[in-house]
Amino acid sequence: MSRRRNRETPEMAISEYELSSMTSELNMLHNETFPSVHKELDEFSANLAEISRKPAGRRSFLMGMGGVAILGTAAACSSSNDKKTAAGGGTTSAPSSAAGGVYTGDLKVVALAAALENLAVTAYQGALTKAGKGELGKVPPAVATFITTAMKQHQDHSDAWNSVLKKANKPAISGAPLTITAGQVAMLNAAKSVPDVAKLALALENAAAETYTFAAINVTDAGGIMTAATIQPVETMHAAILSFVLGEYPVPVSFIGTSNAVQPSALTA
Amino acid sequence: MDNKLDEGRFRELLVESDDLQSDAMRGARRDLNAYVDAAHEARHESRRDLRVGGAIFGAGALGIAALAFASPAMAESAQDIMALQTAAGLENLAVFTYKTALTLDFIGGKSANGVVKAFALKTMAQHEEHGKAFNAAATKLGGKAQTATDPKYTPVVQTAAGKIKGAVDVVSLAITLEDIAAETYVKNVGLVSTSDLRGLFASVAGVESQHKAILLAVQALLKGGAPELIALPPDIAKLPAAAGNVGFPDGFFPTSMAAPVAQGAVK
Repeated sequence: MSRRRNRETPEMAISEYELSSMTSELNMLHNETFPSVHKELDEFSANLAEISRKPAGRRSFLMGMGGVAILGTAAACSSSNDKKTAAGGGTTSAPSSAAGGVYTGDLKVVALAAALENLAVTAYQGALTKAGKGELGKVPPAVATFITTAMKQHQDHSDAWNSVLKKANKPAISGAPLTITAGQVAMLNAAKSVPDVAKLALALENAAAETYTFAAINVTDAGGIMTAATIQPVETMHAAILSFVLGEYPVPVSFIGTSNAVQPSALTA
Repeated sequence: MDNKLDEGRFRELLVESDDLQSDAMRGARRDLNAYVDAAHEARHESRRDLRVGGAIFGAGALGIAALAFASPAMAESAQDIMALQTAAGLENLAVFTYKTALTLDFIGGKSANGVVKAFALKTMAQHEEHGKAFNAAATKLGGKAQTATDPKYTPVVQTAAGKIKGAVDVVSLAITLEDIAAETYVKNVGLVSTSDLRGLFASVAGVESQHKAILLAVQALLKGGAPELIALPPDIAKLPAAAGNVGFPDGFFPTSMAAPVAQGAVK
């Protein structure tokens, strides 16, 4: 297998062993961060379980979130011109959230986060499937590693958010019940190359990062705030590497905004 | 050094980046102003409660209760100011570090990788903007601007700077600073008293972590003896598999290296 890979990538100037050992260290680091995150989540769950037994009264942040955009199909492109198109022309207008839904208040943001993470997992899994069928052309090894690792991290994020829902006696989010999902899946199905998939993933990562920034501002529970705060930078890091791969400047803004955050009203569960 | 950098394309990207930047700055200023207004309002409410309590009840029980009510608000405000000053100190140190690094030939001179040099310049400018934003908030809240570099890490940087032998050393130092800044801001999201200030810290934390991600990737390629792969766009076919995930080591961003809130506060 390594011989085959060497034929495909003629100049492996950097030691695979050296970088693989770094990757092992990264996995160790990743696992070490879990205990503290679970502590935050446990506290968050306990608070939300208490809140969910009370009448809904903390939904004001959901009502007063004017100006938050949604991820439209054009958002897959990240140049400034395309950004303007996306901001003004999102094709999937989100319906208003039904009053008295399953998820309210902070729990609605938790459910939204779980759905967004599942959408990212779906996108990356779909990319791997297409790659396996040869539908994306030749997939560089670094891209495959990126997809695999990012997908695992998104799955971890989804599991974390779903554990909060379960402890609050709410159904876990399976799949991606979002108004934007169909459009994103259609874009994935239409992707014919690695850059096509990378652009789609970049838009999803940027939207997730902005959604978590929004959550850090608007969620009221301390544990929920910190969980969003610790996940947001991971999504921005994914975005930076994707931008680099696409040949775009990897840190294009000095402040992560919220104008392209996905609205809680985009949640259809 | 041949690094495949298309200077024209890179300039285009920087212009696009500046367009996005202008949009983001407008949003950040709006958030910052909202935060400052909210904080002032909280202070005003605290003082008004204190006056009412004092006027009607003199030094009676409710007057004392009003004092007790006011104190946490003032303490929160004081903590917010310290957090902002500490953040500004970290930003000032980052600016100092990049500025110093750019005087080195292998970062800012003729032998430098063009992408690394451009990244250092842009990142330094972004840290300047962060420092201004933090100081603007601190001064509007009645605190002093932090114009000095972080007191704990400045000697560390000075010592490290004296031992720099190549680009890897610079990148390694920058990773440490970006990491400390990002971890500090993530932690501060949970410590500050208003939602707008949470937004400011989260907003900047996401950017510092992006700096860290790119620097980790650059470090891996430099250490692996493949500086020619540090290019925009990179020759992704030649990147080794492990380069795909070296930039984001944690599934949840840690805070164990966060600077204490008061570390860089103006005395």
